[in-house]
Amino acid sequence: MTVEAIDSKAAPLKLEDIVRNRTRKHRWHLAFYILALVLIGWSIKATIIDDTDWERIGTFSEILKSVSQFIGIDFGLIPDLLGPTIETFMIACIGTLLGLVICIPAIWFGALNVTPFKPVTYPLARIAMTLSRSIHEIVWALIFVSAVGLGAFAGILAIAARSLGFIAKMSAEAVENIDRKPVEAIRAMGGNNFQVMLYAILPQVMPVILGIVIFEWEINIRRSAVLGLVGAGGLGLVFFRQMHTFNYPGVTTVILAIFCLVLVGEITSHYSRKALI
Amino acid sequence: MAILEVRDLKASYSSSGPEILKGISFEVENDDFFAIIGPSGAGKSTLIRCINRLLEPSSGSIKLNGVDVLKLNNKELRHLRRHIGMIFQEFNLINRMSVMDNVLSGRLGYVGTLRSVLRIFSDKDIQNALMLLERVGLQDHVDKRADELSGGQRQRVGIARALMQEPTLLLLDEPTSALDPKISREVMELIKDIATELKVPVLCNIHDVQLAKETCNKIIGLQDGYKMFDGPTETLAQANLEEIYSMEVL
Repeated sequence: MTVEAIDSKAAPLKLEDIVRNRTRKHRWHLAFYILALVLIGWSIKATIIDDTDWERIGTFSEILKSVSQFIGIDFGLIPDLLGPTIETFMIACIGTLLGLVICIPAIWFGALNVTPFKPVTYPLARIAMTLSRSIHEIVWALIFVSAVGLGAFAGILAIAARSLGFIAKMSAEAVENIDRKPVEAIRAMGGNNFQVMLYAILPQVMPVILGIVIFEWEINIRRSAVLGLVGAGGLGLVFFRQMHTFNYPGVTTVILAIFCLVLVGEITSHYSRKALI
Repeated sequence: MAILEVRDLKASYSSSGPEILKGISFEVENDDFFAIIGPSGAGKSTLIRCINRLLEPSSGSIKLNGVDVLKLNNKELRHLRRHIGMIFQEFNLINRMSVMDNVLSGRLGYVGTLRSVLRIFSDKDIQNALMLLERVGLQDHVDKRADELSGGQRQRVGIARALMQEPTLLLLDEPTSALDPKISREVMELIKDIATELKVPVLCNIHDVQLAKETCNKIIGLQDGYKMFDGPTETLAQANLEEIYSMEVL
């Protein structure tokens, strides 16, 4: 049986119609590709070609030379790194804890099934969460440095403010997804709203919230390592100083210290979250 | 004398929604073990939940020991609920807490908020909890987590928890339908024995008619929100059952 042998009685498709449709489609595709290429070309021109100081780059060997400046470790710097490393770690820890504390009302207000007065408290909590996440930690740090001055305290506040969004949003969702049956049981035996939260909701969401907090703590170690760039304490400040004194091996040393710290954080986070499950 | 008086009770889940209960009246007396039978969707669970106002009825009256339940404010309602023990179909235990803490949580209505934060219960409460756990046969599982137990054991925890309230009325919402037939009988027997010992009247939703006939002394038959039968178990005839379950045949 050949294709021609198929007897199509119902509304035969006309060959020229199909061909016309396909050509039209191809034209549209072509136009789209050309438009995309023009946009990409324009972006490259505007950002890389116009915006780079080409005279300063020099030859290829000069580029390699500049990059190779960073190779090497400034061993003299290592004793001075210990303090800031611990400070960075502490900023992450205390910042996360403080974040968790301010999260508690945010979770309570932001979970639909427990929020005390839905038309006011729910949007309030949700706005706070979005605000916290939409502002970068460096910007939070700038705000708090201007508020409480240079140093680790500003960093702690910045970390706490930035943590609120993630911890509270995920935890509020965990609260919204609880099993309602224990809630009914505590209500039925005469428990008040607080006891319902304490006995029927908290035990269910506790492991989830702890997991979220540990995950956020790990991210916060990374965040607190750069906060020093704007004067909020920790390793970032040392990094900034090495950069300014053109001590490139020193910069590499600080980066290695950050790397080690983050590694410690990731390993701790991995095993402690595993232990929770 | 009637301990619980329900008059012309009507209930629906929303003001525009269909009526689930269409004017139910009955009385529970001091030593009654009352079964509510009927097909799924007849309103058994709704009726039980109206008694302690986990659901708000739309009209009618409920009197427990002469107190009009529907007229109480929030605080008075909580105080009333302390005296109504409830046992649930799916046990409704707090899975991540120990058996002991679950049983003690039956005292929450009597314990202050601060004390409940620290889980401080009086020595007498702990002693009573131990006694009850022994009575339901769980003396070896006191410190286990509730989710480590089998279904029958969990329901026993639920029974002990309800009894911790020192209830004047027990509400049972399908206490055996998550259990196998043998365990179901054991659990019903246990509830019946304890209720007789403590002289607590029981109101029990149950879909297993045979089991209801074996354990209960009075039966209410519900169908589609109407009461089709109300009387002592002996008077429940096959004709009544056919009437109650007629919807299912259709």
